[in-house]
Amino acid sequence: MPPLPKSNTPAKRNNRNLFIALAVAAVVAAALIVGSIVLRGGSDSSSGTTGTTSSGTALVAGIPQSGTILGNPDAKVTMVQYEDFQCPICREYTVDALPAIVNEYVKTGKVKLDYHGLSFLGTDSVKALRVALAAGKQNKLWEVAELFYEQQGDENSGWVTDEKVNEILAQVPGLDADKVLADAESPAITAEIEKVNQEASDRDVQGTPTFFIAIGAGEPYRLAPTSLTPDAFRPALDDALQG
Amino acid sequence: MSDRILRIALLAVTGAGVAVAAYLTWVHFQPDSLICTGGGGCEKVQDSEYSVIAGIPVAVLGLGAWVAALALALWDSELARTLLTALSLVALAFAVYLVILQLFVIDAICVWCMVNDVVLVPLLAALALVRVRRADA
Repeated sequence: MPPLPKSNTPAKRNNRNLFIALAVAAVVAAALIVGSIVLRGGSDSSSGTTGTTSSGTALVAGIPQSGTILGNPDAKVTMVQYEDFQCPICREYTVDALPAIVNEYVKTGKVKLDYHGLSFLGTDSVKALRVALAAGKQNKLWEVAELFYEQQGDENSGWVTDEKVNEILAQVPGLDADKVLADAESPAITAEIEKVNQEASDRDVQGTPTFFIAIGAGEPYRLAPTSLTPDAFRPALDDALQG
Repeated sequence: MSDRILRIALLAVTGAGVAVAAYLTWVHFQPDSLICTGGGGCEKVQDSEYSVIAGIPVAVLGLGAWVAALALALWDSELARTLLTALSLVALAFAVYLVILQLFVIDAICVWCMVNDVVLVPLLAALALVRVRRADA
């Protein structure tokens, strides 16, 4: 029997092992990266509208509003949202979770949302909040909020310019922009901001977004989602609806 | 450099990797990491849509990979060295991808993610490659 070729020398074995490692690594790394791009943020099938922006005001169109509240005024459950228009995590909540919450709970009349704006991140926050609350006087706060988040700039970069405000107000159907600009500087808006600041302080709100759930006229309790995906909110909202 | 020193270095790097990945996993699951505070602590990277793949946090994937790397470094057979090299190359490719995401897509830097992606993972890959090339057993 002829001798076997010397394919099992240490050097050849090392080269073979390295080749196997490279081949396996290339396949797994490619799968991971493609998976990260395609499946980012969780399971698409369960989160519905995850990852999509609601082009402008489309998400809240046709939903009843009253001041800072979005949804059926008789809804048993209220979710209070403490947010700051400059907070990138609030924007991510608005993009990643809010569409599914609105479509599944608000449009169906089960839950109403209450926007409690804070402005602790800086002057751009204050200006945007005043404009949004003034739009709330015309029951259009949520359209303006959607647009501010969609067009959010870098923190305290001066991105809430007069031009930006006018541009946003012009995109909201049926909104009297001149009245919004006048109301934004009114003492009533200042009082509304101070009232929410005091409430946030009383509730130990340390940052944004912070969520509370209220069932009927009951005392609101804190909702601490483990992520800002719809799946992190559904169980708490479902529990509240059953409670 | 002797194989013994290489192996000790591998164990040190994988141990550090487990520690950093465990910290990032812990941070990921802290509700406080999901808020902006006045101090500018917005955890943009850890909360971005790229921080989760099919419902699994990337931090958890990283922790699993580092624990596997540590186990393979402890096992230390020819098969373990090959598997560790493959694992470290996967980690290296994915780390490059994560750095690109932070710099150009998410537009924010997570310091401990960078320690993992720029220091520990390349070190792991280098040590694993040297070891698999020099192995004579």
